Amino acid sequence: MSNSLSQSIRALFRLKPTQKVNRDYLVSLFTAVALAFAVGAVIMLACGYNPIECYGALFSGSLGKPRALGNTLAKTATLFLTGLAMSVAAKAGVFNVGGEGQLYMGAMAAAVVGAQVKGAPAWVVVVLALLAAMLAGGLYALLPGLLKVKLKVDEVITTIMLNSVAIFFCSYLANGPLKTAERGIATGTDSIMKAAAFTPLIKLSNLNTGIFYAAAMALFVWYLMSRSSIGFEMKLTGDNDRFAKYGGIHTGKLMLWSMVLSGAICGMVGMLEIFGLHRRFITTVSNEFYFDGMLVAMIMRYNPFGVILMSFFFAILNIGSKSMELTAGISSELILIVQSIIIFFMAAEGGIRKMLSERALNKRARAELAGKEVGVK
Amino acid sequence: MQGMGTEVVRFEHVSKQYPGVLANNDVTLSIIKGEVFALVGENGAGKSTLMNLLYGLGQPTMGDIFIGGEKISAQHNPERAMQMGVSMVHQHFKLVPSFTVAQNILLGHEPKRGRVFLGTEKSNEIVRELSKAYGLYVNPTDTVGELSVGLQQRVEILKALRTGADVLILDEPTAVLTPQETDELFAVIRRIVAEKNMTVILITHKLPEVMHVSDRVGVMRRGKLEQVLITADTSEREIASLMVGRDVIFDDLRTDQPAGEERLRIEGLCASSDRNLPALRGVDITVHAGEIVGVCGVEGNGQTELAECIMGMRPQTGGAVLLSGKDISNTDPRAIRSLGMSYIPEDRVSMGVDTKASVQENLLLGKQRTKAFSFFGIHQRRGQIKEYANELTKRYDIRTSGTDELVQSLSGGNMQKVVIAREFSFDAPVLLISQPTRGVDIGAIEFIHEHIIEKRNEGCAILLISADLDELLRLGDRLVTIFEGKITGRFNAGEIDKQEIGFYMTGGKQDTKEGERL
Repeated sequence: MSNSLSQSIRALFRLKPTQKVNRDYLVSLFTAVALAFAVGAVIMLACGYNPIECYGALFSGSLGKPRALGNTLAKTATLFLTGLAMSVAAKAGVFNVGGEGQLYMGAMAAAVVGAQVKGAPAWVVVVLALLAAMLAGGLYALLPGLLKVKLKVDEVITTIMLNSVAIFFCSYLANGPLKTAERGIATGTDSIMKAAAFTPLIKLSNLNTGIFYAAAMALFVWYLMSRSSIGFEMKLTGDNDRFAKYGGIHTGKLMLWSMVLSGAICGMVGMLEIFGLHRRFITTVSNEFYFDGMLVAMIMRYNPFGVILMSFFFAILNIGSKSMELTAGISSELILIVQSIIIFFMAAEGGIRKMLSERALNKRARAELAGKEVGVK
Repeated sequence: MQGMGTEVVRFEHVSKQYPGVLANNDVTLSIIKGEVFALVGENGAGKSTLMNLLYGLGQPTMGDIFIGGEKISAQHNPERAMQMGVSMVHQHFKLVPSFTVAQNILLGHEPKRGRVFLGTEKSNEIVRELSKAYGLYVNPTDTVGELSVGLQQRVEILKALRTGADVLILDEPTAVLTPQETDELFAVIRRIVAEKNMTVILITHKLPEVMHVSDRVGVMRRGKLEQVLITADTSEREIASLMVGRDVIFDDLRTDQPAGEERLRIEGLCASSDRNLPALRGVDITVHAGEIVGVCGVEGNGQTELAECIMGMRPQTGGAVLLSGKDISNTDPRAIRSLGMSYIPEDRVSMGVDTKASVQENLLLGKQRTKAFSFFGIHQRRGQIKEYANELTKRYDIRTSGTDELVQSLSGGNMQKVVIAREFSFDAPVLLISQPTRGVDIGAIEFIHEHIIEKRNEGCAILLISADLDELLRLGDRLVTIFEGKITGRFNAGEIDKQEIGFYMTGGKQDTKEGERL
């Protein structure tokens, strides 16, 4: 027993963090990004702006100053957590569109625990709030999960519907029974224990110690999806559930648990927002964070390592666009266009690559055969 | 006939390149008017590709094709092919089940009454005449979905002949037919060739059929036309060895051994089909250690449901399944597997493999939580898994570029070998095998049969469901026939007449001796 324990610890150390990301895919990904930037530049020129100036502002505004970098990193964490939440469920064949609602439930649970648990050490409050948030998000995802597995109700519809339910329910709590007595706060719950709040890592930026929790979760999800037997079973279930069932995998159970995990991660995002930034539940805790994460997850085909990389890039666009608006005077909506074009090119990527390789092959075959014939004659 | 008739189709140095595969490699071939030309070869040998080029489904990468002396254009398509007199009947029928025979045959070319209304009576009349002209009798007002497979095929052939084709291509026409239906089809082929002076090109990999019906036979291997032979001057053995590039031995590999104890017992099994109609009506079968029991029947008589029920993939509505004495009725595949049964499903792509996963992942399924391949059932031992996959790939001769290759890029035969490698490596005492060689080439068939026999000789109890009668006759120790969800006859190996079995398979005959369970 102890022998295999030490073996497994050694095995853990031997982990290589580089998931084999397909080289072809990365090449086309960079091509898509470059093309999108080029199209964006054309639009800028057409509107009478200098693209070099604009893109300069974009990058300096997201990476140039410590404060900007901090904001970008904080945004990255939110994006990759929501993206991974999407990926975990999608890998097992469940399309969780309800992350936004699960995030709200988690945020509310964390805010309540943070405010109501008194007299305990700060770290206990953090742990309890984290657990409560993950439980709330997980349970809220369990409902559509059960409906899908037991009654075959389409989870896309139920999860979308439950988003509104959660958002309005939390909004009701924050305006009604749980509204703080503090003066000057229009809506929101009581503020959480001060000592339990995360400390900022870079002054005036959104980056705080919460990012370590996010990183730990990302590592866990990556491990689960890419290195564990459970991730293997999830993949097979997502690819072909008949095959997985035939092979002896409890597909229903697996789908349910990946849905719960997805919800729990979303709940955690809510908790990190509350403990890192707002210090209480407010109704604007999320601005469709989960949908941005979904986008990243889908572009990267639910590859956990890729999701983390792409999150950083999308965070740059997101944070940089605001300063681009200020310094270069160009509307931040332009960046939305660039984002959309990236997605467009990524979607077309498979087809374009296939076309190119087919053409190359045909050409080569023709050349080869022609060469042969000439040789014969 | 050779060298005497006029040429109707000519391929001149035709090559077809698909990404990564040279499907046809410099094929030069003439087809003569009024002959039955059989095109044989393993799966992936390029025979369907070649005929698709003729029919306008795809253009040759290099080379030219002539129909009746006229070179086909770069914009060749099925419509033009039909105008030039070439028609094709595909392996999978392209019929609308809810339409009548006449509606199907004239689909897209319906005669009109006035400007708007369909001339139903006129359609029926046209089809009746067509049917008479070719001696292919069908009732124009029958609904296609209610016809037998053999009759549906006849509708397909009539559809192909509607435009007055000179050359008819049949792609694996007998794959789904009973022996009687096959005989009828061959009679039809003979007749249209003799009476209408038509040319028939038959794509197949069943050699007895080639010998029976064709005048000449072209053997393809790996995209090349190996040789064109005159059927009367060759033998099955010669064709087979040309197809695979070596001699194939059609020998009986079974060792004589008495059957052991009872391992699998199916009693009065009942189940419903996907459409909620009764598919199994009280099936009784027993299988003992060291024997192969073959279930033969025309497809769609409950074989699919039988296999799925036994493996726990479909709910039973009655009866019981006993695995080594334990009742496994209505449990799940995981429990059944742990009690010692492995299953090779009939449909590889939808159930047997995960096409989007690698060879390695497909081989691992079922063992991912064992001590050999994981720590505590969680952490994957990637080194061991890789080694295991390499070993199985070698032992079962799975041809891949590496165990990381996705299964979807493998050929049918290699895909099936992946399934067999995985299922056989559980060393389960009971094997349930369904259509093990469907769509698999001759070389792989031989290999798969050898492995099945080896399992039997080791003492496995094997229930083999197949639509290929020759396969069952070759492998089975005992056979049962299934018709409309019931066992209609039971036979011992060695006392079997093919035609007789055909009658039992089609419900023409039924054992009345109930209770005489083998």
